[in-house]
Amino acid sequence: MNIKGSPWKGSLLLLLVSDLLLCQSVAPLPICPGGAARCQVTLGDLFDRAVVLSHYIHNLSSEMFSEFDKRYTHGRGFITKAINSCHTSSLATPEDKEQAQQINQKDFLSLIVSILRSWNEPLYHLVTEVRGMQEAPETILSKAVEIEEQTKRLLEGMELIVSQVHPETKENEIYPVWSGLPSLQMADEESRLSAYYNLLHCLRRDSHKIDNYLKLLKCRIIHNNNC
Amino acid sequence: MDLWQLLLTLALAGSSDAFSGSEDSSKEPKFTKCRSPERETFSCHWTDEVHHGTKNLGPIQLFYTRRNTQEWTQEWKECPDYVSAGENSCYFNSSFTSIWIPYCIKLTSNGDTVDEKCFSVDEIVQPDPPIALNWTLLNVSLTGIHADIQVRWEAPRNADIQKGWMVLEYELQYKEVNETKWKMMDPILSTSVPVYSLKVDKEYEVRVRSKQRNSGNYGEFSEVLYVTLPQMSQFTCEEDFYFPWLLIIIFGIFGLTVMLFVFLFSKQQRIKMLILPPVPVPKIKGIDPDLLKEGKLEEVNTILAIHDSYKPEFHSDDSWVEFIELDIDEPDEKTEGSDTDRLLSSDHEKSHSNLGVKDGDSGRTSCCEPDILETDFNANDIHEGTSEVAQPQRLKGEADLLCLDQKNQNNSPYHDACPATQQPSVIQAEKNKPQPLPTEGAESTHQAAHIQLSNPSSLANIDFYAQVSDITPAGSVVLSPGQKNKAGMSQYDMHPEMVSLCQENFLMDNAYFCEADAKKCIPVAPHIKVESHIQPSFNQEDIYITTESLTTAAGRPGTEEHVPGSEMPVPDYTSIHIVQSPQGLILNATALPLPDKEFLSSCGYVSTDQLNKIMP
Repeated sequence: MNIKGSPWKGSLLLLLVSDLLLCQSVAPLPICPGGAARCQVTLGDLFDRAVVLSHYIHNLSSEMFSEFDKRYTHGRGFITKAINSCHTSSLATPEDKEQAQQINQKDFLSLIVSILRSWNEPLYHLVTEVRGMQEAPETILSKAVEIEEQTKRLLEGMELIVSQVHPETKENEIYPVWSGLPSLQMADEESRLSAYYNLLHCLRRDSHKIDNYLKLLKCRIIHNNNC
Repeated sequence: MDLWQLLLTLALAGSSDAFSGSEDSSKEPKFTKCRSPERETFSCHWTDEVHHGTKNLGPIQLFYTRRNTQEWTQEWKECPDYVSAGENSCYFNSSFTSIWIPYCIKLTSNGDTVDEKCFSVDEIVQPDPPIALNWTLLNVSLTGIHADIQVRWEAPRNADIQKGWMVLEYELQYKEVNETKWKMMDPILSTSVPVYSLKVDKEYEVRVRSKQRNSGNYGEFSEVLYVTLPQMSQFTCEEDFYFPWLLIIIFGIFGLTVMLFVFLFSKQQRIKMLILPPVPVPKIKGIDPDLLKEGKLEEVNTILAIHDSYKPEFHSDDSWVEFIELDIDEPDEKTEGSDTDRLLSSDHEKSHSNLGVKDGDSGRTSCCEPDILETDFNANDIHEGTSEVAQPQRLKGEADLLCLDQKNQNNSPYHDACPATQQPSVIQAEKNKPQPLPTEGAESTHQAAHIQLSNPSSLANIDFYAQVSDITPAGSVVLSPGQKNKAGMSQYDMHPEMVSLCQENFLMDNAYFCEADAKKCIPVAPHIKVESHIQPSFNQEDIYITTESLTTAAGRPGTEEHVPGSEMPVPDYTSIHIVQSPQGLILNATALPLPDKEFLSSCGYVSTDQLNKIMP
């Protein structure tokens, strides 16, 4: 299995940043089924980078949501009015710590990969639609573009991790499909804003979930629950 | 007294009512805070219920709801635990806590909603304070005044760091004991941090607080840690040593200034050259800069003309060539007295009246432009002597400017640029006559010319140029002593037949014609009109021949014969035909094949067509 070095070699810098977690005893356990010769990057490094990326993405999503809310929908009661249903709600994601501990590692990983895959299309359309907006807010647009790109990289990394941890996993391409594009393009401004609000709120939530799950998995797999 | 008591009672009752009423409204229970210390449970608190007033508020209840999957259930459930978190609180244990699901809670009293709030658990996360603070000494400075310490602590117990459920960041604050303002450090993710540069003899307080990364708020501060640094040295100075930056800067500037002045005003040129090297001034080999300053353009030109690259500046100036107009209507008047004469200091007077070809047409910027030299010529007309000498120089200079001659081109046919603007007929003036040309003759010519002329045109009486045969390396110009005879004629002095003849062969080729051609046209006229013994031959210098005259002359070989032949001197000048190459000048008349006699020597200019015929 080929390890895609290019997106990851360039982010070696992230290794320095990865010294964030409170891991007092770092005992890297390189799980490398293919043998040492095939693994150029240890699993610990992969997880470190994934966590850094997911953290970054969540930060961007939070900021983007705050900016959007402040600029367009603040104080207009969108939080209660909005349906707030995310397209990833159909996935059985753990909602608290116990549930997260109960889910097994393999399912957990595929769940994360599914969420990431399901966000590819919405992010793409988000960027396109924001770009085409009349007065495209530059900060929001730039964040959206960055999130889209980083999510792709994170997905690549996750697939790499999966291939290392569970090489026998069959490629499961099933993921929730997003169908909110028409609502983003509605003529009625109120509905359109509501759709954007919902999308950005979901993005913030899902990016937080992914970040949390990855941190859990990292401590579980790499540090044996002793971060 | 009874009345007073009654009034007092009423007043009291009324006021109590009012008080109770306001108390009631102000004492409505409200949510004060909801908090989750570890992201696994949370609790909400509200204000105390005040049992004042007449109204019975009834039991306060808290209801909550959370959005499940797709929509709000709107099914309000009551608080599961009113006790564990204390009074006026509701505690949600881990089974009731979901992280990414929004909650809404409401406070009711007697069924009426008094307060409502919506949130998600991450927003209300406030970790407990860190525990087990301690410090260790890292090092002491050499002076024994300052020291560095390392402060360590532990995460709060209930925050699950080991499983990665929570990631905390910490903020440390410290201050001297008797200070009021805390110094803050940047948030850090590890549980130990060095604190630098504490004064040894002072006591410090340190405290830490934590916050979940990315969301929530800072928790409470930990307990204060007291740091007392032991005094290591007996010789602790009370005063700090401050590096005297200001003094150093001032003295440094002063010293540099002194050195600079020493160098600047020192007589030692070597040092001066080192520090302030002289800027090289532009220099051209062979040119004395003073010459330029004095403005003696002609000399400079001659010197510069030695350099091949310089000439094209003048020669290849197409702009004035383009502006040359063929003006058939204007008679050709030539001043008496050639440039060569003037240049060679020959006494010569030009016909004043013939001077200054008045050319009403615009665009005549050639060297034959009479306006340019008009004033000069007018001034010099009757002139003899020094002014003549001076004039030729100036004329020559101008001639150089306008009709520059290449030194190595002699006796070649040129395109007659100048005559193109001018009339074909030229009023020739005698050159070789020592005495001034008979003005009468010129005048008569002029008058005769005037008769014919539709427009008063003055061609040069003026010899605008003399043929420069060579330019010596020293810079002086050698003029060819061509024939000084000038035949002044106007084109329209010519026989009308001549005119037509001349015009027949008029080649529409930039109106550049060989001088000889022009001569051919012209000579006929003076025989008819000109009373003075002005020879019909063109003065070589008279290049101002209209093309028509030239062509007609060319078309009449018979009559032409004698004209150019007899009067075929070495051309005094050769004007330059600008050929394609910027530096190429066709001047060599002798190179022409014989049949084109008209192009020989006297011909100042060759039309390009003729040129093409000539050249293979």
